[in-house]
Amino acid sequence: MRVGIHIMRFGPNAIRFGLLAGAAVVLLAPVLPLGDAGPYLLRVATLTMLYMILALGLNIVPGFTGLLDLGFVGFYGIGAYTAGLLTVHYGISFWFIIPLAALNGALWGILLGAPTLRLTGDYFAIVTFGFSELVVLVIRNEIWLTRGPMGLPGIKAPSLFGHVIKEPWEYYYLVIGLLLFVLFVVRRIEDSRLGRAWFAIREDEIAAECVGVNIINFKVIAFAISASIGALGGAFFARWFLFIHPDMFKFWESILVLCLIVFGGMGNIRGVMIGAAVLIPMTEALRYLLENLPPVMAKIGLAVSAETGSKLVQARYLLFGVILVLMMRFRPEGLFPVARVKAEMHPDKAILEAEDASLYDERKVTDVEKV
Amino acid sequence: MFETFLDTFSLFGQQLVNGITLGSVYALIAVGYTMVYGVIQLINFAHGEVYMMGAFFSFTMVTAFGVNFWVAFPVTIVLCSILGILLDVVAYRPLRKAPRLAALITAIGMSLFLQNLALIIWGSQIKAFPRPTLPTVFFEAAVTMGDIIITWLQVFILLVATLMMAGLHTIIHHTKVGTAMRAIAQDKVTASLMGINVNRVISFTFAIGSAMGGVAGILVGIYYNAIWPTMGYIAGIKAFAAAVLGGIGSVPGAMLGGGVLGMAEVMGAGYISSAYRDGIAYAVMILVIIFKPSGLLGRSTLKKV
Amino acid sequence: MKGRVLFLAVVLTLVAFVLSAHAAEVVKIPVASPFTGQLASFGEGVKNGAFLKAEEVNKAGGIDGKNVEIVLGDELCDPKEAANVATKFAADSGVSIVVGHLCSSATLAALPIYKEAKLPAISPASTNPTIGKSSPYYFRNVYMDDFQGSFLARYIKEVKGWQKVAIFYETNDYSIGLMKAFKAEALKLRVRILGEEAYTNETTDFTPQLTKFRAMKPDALFIPGYAPQATLIVSQAAKLGMKVGYFGADGLDDAMMLENPDADGLFVTTPFLADNPDASEEAKAFVKSYNEKYGKDPNWFAANTYDAVGLAVQAIKAVGADRDKVRDYLAGMNSPDKAYMGVTGATYFDENGDVIKGAFIKAIQGGKWVSAEKQL
Repeated sequence: MRVGIHIMRFGPNAIRFGLLAGAAVVLLAPVLPLGDAGPYLLRVATLTMLYMILALGLNIVPGFTGLLDLGFVGFYGIGAYTAGLLTVHYGISFWFIIPLAALNGALWGILLGAPTLRLTGDYFAIVTFGFSELVVLVIRNEIWLTRGPMGLPGIKAPSLFGHVIKEPWEYYYLVIGLLLFVLFVVRRIEDSRLGRAWFAIREDEIAAECVGVNIINFKVIAFAISASIGALGGAFFARWFLFIHPDMFKFWESILVLCLIVFGGMGNIRGVMIGAAVLIPMTEALRYLLENLPPVMAKIGLAVSAETGSKLVQARYLLFGVILVLMMRFRPEGLFPVARVKAEMHPDKAILEAEDASLYDERKVTDVEKV
Repeated sequence: MFETFLDTFSLFGQQLVNGITLGSVYALIAVGYTMVYGVIQLINFAHGEVYMMGAFFSFTMVTAFGVNFWVAFPVTIVLCSILGILLDVVAYRPLRKAPRLAALITAIGMSLFLQNLALIIWGSQIKAFPRPTLPTVFFEAAVTMGDIIITWLQVFILLVATLMMAGLHTIIHHTKVGTAMRAIAQDKVTASLMGINVNRVISFTFAIGSAMGGVAGILVGIYYNAIWPTMGYIAGIKAFAAAVLGGIGSVPGAMLGGGVLGMAEVMGAGYISSAYRDGIAYAVMILVIIFKPSGLLGRSTLKKV
Repeated sequence: MKGRVLFLAVVLTLVAFVLSAHAAEVVKIPVASPFTGQLASFGEGVKNGAFLKAEEVNKAGGIDGKNVEIVLGDELCDPKEAANVATKFAADSGVSIVVGHLCSSATLAALPIYKEAKLPAISPASTNPTIGKSSPYYFRNVYMDDFQGSFLARYIKEVKGWQKVAIFYETNDYSIGLMKAFKAEALKLRVRILGEEAYTNETTDFTPQLTKFRAMKPDALFIPGYAPQATLIVSQAAKLGMKVGYFGADGLDDAMMLENPDADGLFVTTPFLADNPDASEEAKAFVKSYNEKYGKDPNWFAANTYDAVGLAVQAIKAVGADRDKVRDYLAGMNSPDKAYMGVTGATYFDENGDVIKGAFIKAIQGGKWVSAEKQL
């Protein structure tokens, strides 16, 4: 059984027109007459772009190399605190902090990745998880450095040619700029020798090794790039929120970003961006709808207590759990899949498509590790 | 001089008691992870949520329906087993042939789902069993040695943990279904060719593991007197660390790992730094995975090509 | 295709419903605090106090004939949620002052947003000292942690005569701030601090730390945290056979503590006493009407929020719903003769928007909060 959104087939002109119109709306959003809701909507839009950056970063590990990374928020937090501390103590410019934070992220990515990337998938996942929890613990407890649970207030807003960025629309264009930069980098890597090596690892690690791909090196590079993009996102976050706190980098953030890429389609740049574009505004819309549920229901004559409404707002992430489960069950390649991921996620079909069915089947069975 | 020695000794002795209690709880949860991993190589992230549900099931029965604690206890075990089977049938069974990444993500999804479901049903505030609903004997001291106090509840926890582990060992090594479980762990396809109903045995594994998790939930709920919807997340991860430490897939390993980890945590909090207490479990887990992935009692794994 | 149109129609109707729910002509006063989550019981006091004040104002004719409407912003004491809630309030041009937030970390996260939007805010409960200096648009009508911590140190030395104390703190801003202030004053008074241990808000097993405390043999244990953990600490200490005094700050001022038989004798600082015999007429009337409406005594969150909403109403009445004018009005209340007389006494601000207010001690006796016989 296949359930999913079947995208209607449009002609190339229609697609081009749609893309142009979409781009125009995104670029002109700040001047649209949105009234009071404007700043709030722009904030949600900025948040969405930030999560697009994060999703692009995380995507490299599970999407391109097929390893589950549950510790992404650790690098996000490292980036945020690198930026926050450098700003508060040394007043370094935003434009220097971004590469510094990315470098620091990459450094930690290598330190963590080098000894752990030879592990099998689930062990790797759990190690990354442990790492991110340790990062948060260190941030929380090393008060002399990070101010710990007091949070880090007083971070300065970035400035460009002496002009301080503070309006919501300025942040909005800033994040678009960063997003385009990350997008450019990721796209170039995807099409390079590096990208091809990753896909080879993803499809069949053993075969890749046999044709001379140095698996560990390529995995560590992937992990480091992913970590540095996470740290870059964190650095932007710190200079945007102007206050950071250990509670902002909880495990849940890793899961949220994972949801975005699973929803859109792992390994597919366009897919993960659409995942972020759909799910992040959706959580905000859900907050609004659920918060206003009690008065609306009261009008129809159904009593819903304000407490229930509030509980539902809190539990709206239940939906993310459902999305993860349903996506894996019915459309594991995501809503906007790339062919190779699709083939891998549907081994049954792949068998039919493969020329030598029996060979493929055997590989799948013995692929499972024995304990 | 002698008095300071006595003080040091009673401090250490009491910490030992604390560590054993915590360790037996971790061991009970760890068994659930290790059994499922042993049989289908899946980290069942939702196992921590089963443990949490166990605590809430018994809490609801005792408080909302006024059920006697000794009745609520076995009923909770049954409910948790059913929850475990449901988890398997609804979420994991359809993905048996899918890549491991898909099953892992599903496990995370189920964990998220159950946690938020509990949030909607019970709210996020910490709840406690009202004292009168519990047998009073639990809170009396069983042993008093100088300053060292062991309550009957601690004795009960250790007793239940040991009994359940012994029972589990018997099931795995001396029954038909246990043999089937071991066969599936070895080779799923061959096992099914030998006439083993693979799905049924896997569901049975989930049921047993979840029952142990549910028992741990009740015990923790009454021992620390606090239950809340996200309690399964940290306990689950620590128990998983215990399973890894003991050697994942090995039931005696889970017991040993739970004991060692509980002790390490209590001694770490008592003698090193209480602020980094949770970090001890994570650090142990990372170090074991990097340096000895097979754990203390696990067999080393071979990757077959 | 038909299905989609229907779906769209349903969504649009829902949105229209939601929008129309807010169309009446009112003066909105948003109240931001955790109303769900672990600290929901604190938020309950905040909510009750705010609604009670609004009801009384509306009964007396509202603000220039317009009714006051309390808009709740639930931020779960989470800094990220707090920033979201703050953005929503800041973007609403009908809002000229916010009452909130409760947790200091939530306040600190919301501050940059209020500052940018030039939106004044008054917190009934954030006690962290760094807040006041961070923004000219921030006010609070509660004392600060450094005052509370040193107050407690003086109280245990002068009233209780305790010499040896151990501290069991939570790794959060509130708890650490209190601990530091308490330690500094204790040092001056030559009260010995035998040891300090930490826990997190996800800790349930406190026995290793308590075992350590037991061996130190202190006169008392200072718990500068929140009630959900403190009640567990006290029970677990009792199981370990610890017999010491317990005290904490206003974070333990919660009805939850009363359900714990082991907590008998525990005392706390609080900005407001419901059973204070020396209270003003306003305060007595407030306790009475609160009891009529909610069937229990108000806690300090309720009292402080009641006054914070009162301050907001007075400011809007005086200068209209203009953000900068409201801010200037509040900043102008800078001496005792310009003070707002509320149920928690006189409120006037220093140059940081902070207040100077007294504290009281109350203790648990026989499952009830009772004001301590000897105050400081």
